Amino acid sequence: MLQIEHLTKVYPNGTVALKDVTFTVQDGEFLVIIGLSGSGKSTLLRCINRLIEPTEGRVLWDGANITRASPAELRQLRRHVGMVFQQFNVVKRSSVMTNVLSGRLGYVNSFSSVLGLWSKSDRERALKALERVGIADKADNRADALSGGQQQRVGIARTLMQEPKLILADEPVASLDPVLSHSILRYLEQLNKEGITVLCSLHFLDLVHRYATRVIALKEGVKVFEGLPKEIDRAKFKEIYGEEAQEVRATTVEEG
Amino acid sequence: MAARLSSNPSKRSSITAGLLSLILPGLGQIYARQRYRGVIVLFGAFLAVLIAFWYGVPAWYAAPAVLWLWNVWDAVGAARGKLRSAFLPLLALLVMGYGIGWQVTGIDFSALIRNLDRATSIVIPMFHPDFFSGVETTNSAWAPVEVPCGPNPPEAVNTVNGIHVAISPNCGKLNQELTVQASGLWPDTPTNIQWATPIGDILPLGKGFITDLYVTTDAQGNLDTTIHIPPSALSAAPDPTLPLEHRIYLVQSRPRPGFQLSENGGYVVQGIIQTIFLALISTTFGALGAIPISFLAARNLMGGHPLTLSIYVIVRTLLNILRSIEPLIIAIIFVVIVGLGPFAGAIAITLHTIAALGKLYSEVIEGIDPGPLEAIRAVGGNWIQMVRYAVIPQIVPPFASFTLFRWDINVRTSTIIGFVGGGGIGFYLYQWIIKGDFEAVSSSFIAIAVIVVTLDFVSARVRARLV
Repeated sequence: MLQIEHLTKVYPNGTVALKDVTFTVQDGEFLVIIGLSGSGKSTLLRCINRLIEPTEGRVLWDGANITRASPAELRQLRRHVGMVFQQFNVVKRSSVMTNVLSGRLGYVNSFSSVLGLWSKSDRERALKALERVGIADKADNRADALSGGQQQRVGIARTLMQEPKLILADEPVASLDPVLSHSILRYLEQLNKEGITVLCSLHFLDLVHRYATRVIALKEGVKVFEGLPKEIDRAKFKEIYGEEAQEVRATTVEEG
Repeated sequence: MAARLSSNPSKRSSITAGLLSLILPGLGQIYARQRYRGVIVLFGAFLAVLIAFWYGVPAWYAAPAVLWLWNVWDAVGAARGKLRSAFLPLLALLVMGYGIGWQVTGIDFSALIRNLDRATSIVIPMFHPDFFSGVETTNSAWAPVEVPCGPNPPEAVNTVNGIHVAISPNCGKLNQELTVQASGLWPDTPTNIQWATPIGDILPLGKGFITDLYVTTDAQGNLDTTIHIPPSALSAAPDPTLPLEHRIYLVQSRPRPGFQLSENGGYVVQGIIQTIFLALISTTFGALGAIPISFLAARNLMGGHPLTLSIYVIVRTLLNILRSIEPLIIAIIFVVIVGLGPFAGAIAITLHTIAALGKLYSEVIEGIDPGPLEAIRAVGGNWIQMVRYAVIPQIVPPFASFTLFRWDINVRTSTIIGFVGGGGIGFYLYQWIIKGDFEAVSSSFIAIAVIVVTLDFVSARVRARLV
C-alpha cells in the first residue's frame, strides 16, 4: 500500500508544483493520473521515488517512510520501484542489452558493474525481459537503431530487471504514435495483472477509460478529482482541463 | 520611400530640425523625437568622417558629404513625421568602405601577369621533386702535398685501391702550379680533381676556384694534368707559415641501376615523421589536459552555485583567450624558453589543443541527455554507476571523435610550426624556401599533402563510425 500524505513541492524559483496532495494506492491498482501539462503529474511521480525531493508531506510504502529514508535506504527502496519515462531515457549510444542490464544496477556491486562485468543469471534475466517485450532479437543493436516504440519497450524491459513491486510510468505513450500507445500500455496492463501496482500519467481520456482502475486528476498542483474512470463525464472533463478543452482521442484501435 | 508615422506625429519645426542636423548630424532627428535614429546617424557620420580623414584621399569625403546632406533632408522629414529611406547614405558608406578596402589591401592583379618569369623559376623545379637520387659507384684516390714548403716535405705519392697518384713538386705556395699524374683509374671517365685542406674543407680547382675541375682519363686509365694551389687553401690555417699536409683527391663516379633516397629526401622523411609524432604527442597531452578542464567549463555542472559558476566563467575566459592565440605565436615564445626544436612546437600545440578541445568537450558535456542519468538514479544506481552507465556512453564517442579531428588539425599545424623553430618538416621547409631549393620544397609539399590527405581520410572514416 502506497500512502501519499499532504505532499507539497515548491521549486526554488517559487513555482508551486504540488499543493497538499493526499491519496492512497492499494496494491494491484492501475492508478492513472490525469491533468494538463504542468499540472504536477511528473513532479508527483518523481516525489514518490524522490528523484525530486518533496518540500513537505510524506510518502509511505508498506509502512516504510520513503521521504525519511537515508541515501542507502533510498537506493534499496528504489530497486523495487520501476520507472518508465516519456522520453524513454535509454542511452542511445549503448546497446539494448546494456540498457536493459542497467536496470539491475541496484542489485549488483559498484566495482563489477563499473567494469561492465555481469553475471550469467543477470544476462539471462535481461534476455528474458527482452523476450517479454518482444525484441530479444535486438539485444545487440544500438538503442538509437530502434524505433520509438521499441525504445520504450527497452525501457519496460529495464524496469522488469528490477523485479518491481511498483511501476511509475510518466506519460509512457506521449512520445509515441497513437497506434503504438495500446501496445505499450498492454505490457503495463499485463504486469499489473501479475500483481505489480502501476501509477501512470496519461493524456488521452480514451486510454484512461480503457486501462485505469482508478483515476486522480491534478490541476495546478491540487488534486481535483479522485474516483473511477467512468465518473469522468463531460462536466468533470471541463472542470479538470478548463473550459476551452476539446477531447482528443488517442486512437480508434480495437479494444482488448 | 516615405512612410507616414502612424502614431503621434511630431509637432516640431522642420526648419529647426534641418538646421540642427546641418550643424551636427543626427541632432535634428533627436530634436524630432527620433532618438535612436539620431544616434545612429551621428555615429555613422562620425565614423565616415574619421575613415576619410585617416585615409587622406580627398575624393572619399564625398561619402560623408552625401550622408550629411541626406541627414538634413531626413531631419526635415522626421520633423514632419515622415521616415526617409536610408538607401542612399548606406550605399555611399558601402562604396567608401569597399573602395578604401580595395586600395588598402593593395590589390594589383597585373602583378600576377607582370612577374610571370619569376614564377617559372619556382614552378619548373617544382616538377622535379628532390626525393630520390640515382645510385653511383665511386672510384677515388689521393696524394699529399705540403703547403707551404717546409724543410722536409714528404713524398707526394700515394696508392689507394690500386690507383697510383703522384704530385710534383711535392710542396708549394699559394697559386703555384702542380702536376698531377695518376694511373689505374677507370678509362675514358671524367674525373673530379679536388683540394682538401688539413681540416677537411673541400676546395674546387676549376675556373676561378669556384667550379669543379673535371679531367677525362685516357683509354688506359691514366691522367696527367696541371692544377694551381687554391689561394684560399691557407685561409683557415691558424699560422699560414706552418707547413701542413693538404691532399689532392681524384674522384670518379659512374651511375648504377636503381635509386635511393636523396639527401634532402632523407630530411623530408625525418621531418615528416617528426611532424606526425609531434602532432600525436601534443594531441594526446592536449586531450588529457582538456578532460578535467572541460568539466570545469561545463555550465550544466558548474552553474548550480555562485562559487562554481565563477570558476566556470574564469575557466571559459582563459580557454577563450588561449584559443585566440595562434600556436605559431605560442611557439615563438617557447622557442625562446626551451630552445629550437620539436619540444617548443609540442608545448605550443598542446596548449592550443587544451583550449580548443576543452571548449568542445565542455559543449559535449553540456549537451548530454539528462534522461538516462535520471533513469539510473531511479533504478537505485549510485553515483559511480550513473557516471559509468549514463554519462560515459554519451560523452566518449564525441570526445574520441573531436580528439581525432584535432589530431588531424595538429598534423597540419605542426607542418608549419617549424617555420618559427618548432621542429618537424616545417623546419627544413623554411630553410629550403630561404635557400631557394625549390626541388626540395616541392618534395616536402608532396610529402605534406600525402600525409594530410591520408590522415584526413582515415580520421573521417573512423569518426563516421564513432558518432
